[in-house]
Amino acid sequence: MILFRKFRVLILMVFLVACTMHIMIDLLPKLEKRAAGSSSSAGGGGGCSCAHTPGEEPRSWAKQRSRAAAAAEPGWPNKHSLRLLQDFSNEPNSNLTSHSREKVTERAESGKRVRPLQPDSEKRGLMRDTVSGQKQRAVQGSSSLKALYEQPLYKTDLPHLSEDDTLFNLNSDVRFYPKAAGQQEWHNEGNVEEEEYSPTGEATAESYPNWLRFHIGINRYELYSRHNPVIGALLKDLVSQKITSVAMKSGGTQLKLIMSFQNYGQALFKPMKQTREQETPPDFFYFSDFERHNAEIAAFHLDRILDFRRVPPVAGRLVNMTREIRDVTRDKKLWRTFFVSPANNICFYGECSYYCSTEHALCGKPDQIEGSLAAFLPDLALAKRKTWRNPWRRSYHKRKKAEWEVDPDYCDEVKQTPPYDRGTRLLDIMDMTIFDFLMGNMDRHHYETFEKFGNETFIIHLDNGRGFGKHSHDEMSILVPLTQCCRVKRSTYLRLQLLAKEEFKLSSLMEESLLQDQLTPVLIQPHLEAMDRRLRLVLKVLADCVEKEGFPSVVENDLDGQPSSHHHQAH
Amino acid sequence: VSTERGSKLERLFRHPLYNIRPPDLGPEEQLLQEDELMNYCKRKVSRWERLKKFYIEAAAASNITIPDHPVTFDPEASWLQFHLGISRYALYSGDDSIIDRLLRDMQTATIISADFTQDEKALKGACDCSQVVKPSGLHLKLALKLQDFGKAMFKPMRQERHEETPENFFYFVDFQRHNAEIAAFHLDRVLDFRRVPPVTGRFINVTGEILDITHNEELRSVFFTSPANNTCFFAKCLYVCKSEYAVCGHPDLLEGSMSAYLPGLSIAPRISIPNPWIRAYSFTGREEWEVNPLYCDNVKKLYPYNSGNRLLNIIDMAIFDFLTGNMDRHHYEIFTKFGDDGFLLHLDNARGFGRHSHDEVSILAPLTQCCMIKRSTLFRLKLLAQSEYRLSDVMRESLSRDPLTPVLTEEHLQALDRRLGHVLRTVGNCVKKLGEPQVLITDFVESSRVTS
Repeated sequence: MILFRKFRVLILMVFLVACTMHIMIDLLPKLEKRAAGSSSSAGGGGGCSCAHTPGEEPRSWAKQRSRAAAAAEPGWPNKHSLRLLQDFSNEPNSNLTSHSREKVTERAESGKRVRPLQPDSEKRGLMRDTVSGQKQRAVQGSSSLKALYEQPLYKTDLPHLSEDDTLFNLNSDVRFYPKAAGQQEWHNEGNVEEEEYSPTGEATAESYPNWLRFHIGINRYELYSRHNPVIGALLKDLVSQKITSVAMKSGGTQLKLIMSFQNYGQALFKPMKQTREQETPPDFFYFSDFERHNAEIAAFHLDRILDFRRVPPVAGRLVNMTREIRDVTRDKKLWRTFFVSPANNICFYGECSYYCSTEHALCGKPDQIEGSLAAFLPDLALAKRKTWRNPWRRSYHKRKKAEWEVDPDYCDEVKQTPPYDRGTRLLDIMDMTIFDFLMGNMDRHHYETFEKFGNETFIIHLDNGRGFGKHSHDEMSILVPLTQCCRVKRSTYLRLQLLAKEEFKLSSLMEESLLQDQLTPVLIQPHLEAMDRRLRLVLKVLADCVEKEGFPSVVENDLDGQPSSHHHQAH
Repeated sequence: VSTERGSKLERLFRHPLYNIRPPDLGPEEQLLQEDELMNYCKRKVSRWERLKKFYIEAAAASNITIPDHPVTFDPEASWLQFHLGISRYALYSGDDSIIDRLLRDMQTATIISADFTQDEKALKGACDCSQVVKPSGLHLKLALKLQDFGKAMFKPMRQERHEETPENFFYFVDFQRHNAEIAAFHLDRVLDFRRVPPVTGRFINVTGEILDITHNEELRSVFFTSPANNTCFFAKCLYVCKSEYAVCGHPDLLEGSMSAYLPGLSIAPRISIPNPWIRAYSFTGREEWEVNPLYCDNVKKLYPYNSGNRLLNIIDMAIFDFLTGNMDRHHYEIFTKFGDDGFLLHLDNARGFGRHSHDEVSILAPLTQCCMIKRSTLFRLKLLAQSEYRLSDVMRESLSRDPLTPVLTEEHLQALDRRLGHVLRTVGNCVKKLGEPQVLITDFVESSRVTS
């Protein structure tokens, strides 16, 4: 009897164990996939506590993005991008009014677009109350940038944009974006709320990631519009988005990495090679100079202050070399070059033709490395670009001289050669020349345009890493195109004169603008001051031209048909 | 400093420890025989005269004129006397006026020709950019021929005196420093080792004294004028690999170190032997001695370290390298003529004096692991730790005679005293552990001298 009872207990035990095992086996994968529902069985109770935590983890990019845009997440680390948002909301013509100029996006978007932005600005208002003293100072300082953008010169209109003037037609082209697969994913992952508003399942531009909205906004005249909130959000994405994969860029002379983000955006990473204080040695040729990450960042800000808007957005970021480069790269060549230095820092040197050797290894401290992240332009497959040889290209040879260095009448020849014989191309080159001279960038051998727009379009100012190398030297040869051609856009000329005034001093505007970057101070004071000095030199060259050839033949009036446009813009 | 007391350096060299007469040298204890060397040199000079005519004609064909410097062959030339003075005990004797004369000649003599060094030529232009550790032949150095037909190796300045080796640099990618070469010679003489060939600093006119007089077409091709209008030249492979930039004169003048050449290998063959305490020369690898504290017990059993004073010589070298901070001693050379008992040559010291703020204790491993030292070496080290002969003071004084003075910054001189203290403490610990007879070895060569 006792034996039988014992046996029964044993059977029961075995049965129980089998059951538990079964339940466990059933449950385990679900647990891993953060299945929320726990079965009623007591056996599942143990797993309950841990089943919740992973359940909260997965978030769609959309949620993250909207949170990022709202800047409402407590403990948001990036004060500078917050400030960026504040600045825009301070503007009389901030987000809401500014996108009236974004005719492309506006047309495609429903009024819905306004809706999510409104709470944002409210929250920003709240955030402003909590700013620390340090930030307060920055906000006060922001007045001069703000004041600059209130100048009529910074309120000129673009001509009316037709379908031919935008890079993408929202309804047809964007659907074929290579990440179209991704587009589906965004929506499947996207939160349900948003899908309710688009019952067709069609993606609205509002739900696109910022990098795509940046691409959609490109038109014949500019890479992005003046007060586009997308650019601010994109800069923030560059700093905060999780890096999902890293590859080495082939072809370039110096090491660059292509970083892909969680939201399928991509950016070009240039690591820090030199400290802020280091100058290019006097014996270095322009083609053996280092590429500087801070020059890339500063160039973007300078270009924006000059109102050219021809540089893709660039942000500085501290990258963890172990987690965000080494562990996520599938590139064996890159991975192989990682090592630990005698000072116990993580270093790597990659593979490239310039300065990719142990002697020039890039080392973290111990594994944090600074770098610049430049937003990618649209894929070449979707938006072909043309590469043009700069007529004032240097010889890239130790002894040989270029033609323009020996022929003082070189510009007359250029003026007669297409595409410089018509349109604004020559004037765009002059803009670029001034831009490069202000930075001290001697390495402008080529420039690019979007093929779709033909010859009547702006020049993209890519690759500015060799600027800001010497603050104690002004390389006058960069200005040669200007001195030889003696031509300038009226809008550029007036803006340069404005930036030479004490209240809009270029250096203080740059300093203030660069404060928004995570890697601030991006430029040391001597570089900022050098820009003021160089600006005066540019104005001197232009004044000499006017004196010699007369105002009308030097200054091309591109401000016709801009009847004090700021009046209907601002209020 | 009162003149009555004289200079510390002079007092040091007058000290009895530095005035032990070696026994008279038999012909077998001298490296070279006089008539053999003179005949060798005469042959070399006549060969040079023949080739020179040919070079000048070839250069004239491509519109380059090379000045025709006459060679004066003088049997009394300082470099010849230096070569003749090399014995089995040292490169030169203690009170050698010939060395001072040689240093002066290297500072002033007209340079009649410049060329790549033999080890660079031996590579025959091979250049592998993916190589992490580049062979020594790839580094920028030139062989200069002087008017008296002596030769010197020129290493140009690569780094400012106050610059330290970047903290993330491995020892095998460190710079070659010309001032380290100069300082190493003086330190070696102050320590009375006399195993480093004489080195002096000199300003070279890179245009007039290298570019215009070289017969080597390839050397001429690595010269260019920089944007700052300075004359520059580079080490081809390292420049192509973009691991090193060129060196530039200001606008023509470039400082560098001139080390006297040793006698040619054909009359005084040498062999190069791997250092038992060699490093891994890789990012991650470790050698046995770095993990095994009993490594020396193994070395002691191995030929040639199991007899004679070879191991003691290695320890001398380790002390010398620790004082300079040179981690790059992968090989050492000896003259084959003197066999296993000959002294070790301390060549190639350009990677010392890189960090004054850091003492690399691992260089001292031979001493800490073997716990033995020559009695004579220890006596001198103790002397140099005393304030009246303080190492930094005698070094400062010795280096002040060089044209490139100050050769070392004050921090580096102070580091010498600190490191010397560390060596003496290490010996003290050994004595405490093993007892004096085990640690202090009266090596047979110098036994009779030290006890006197």
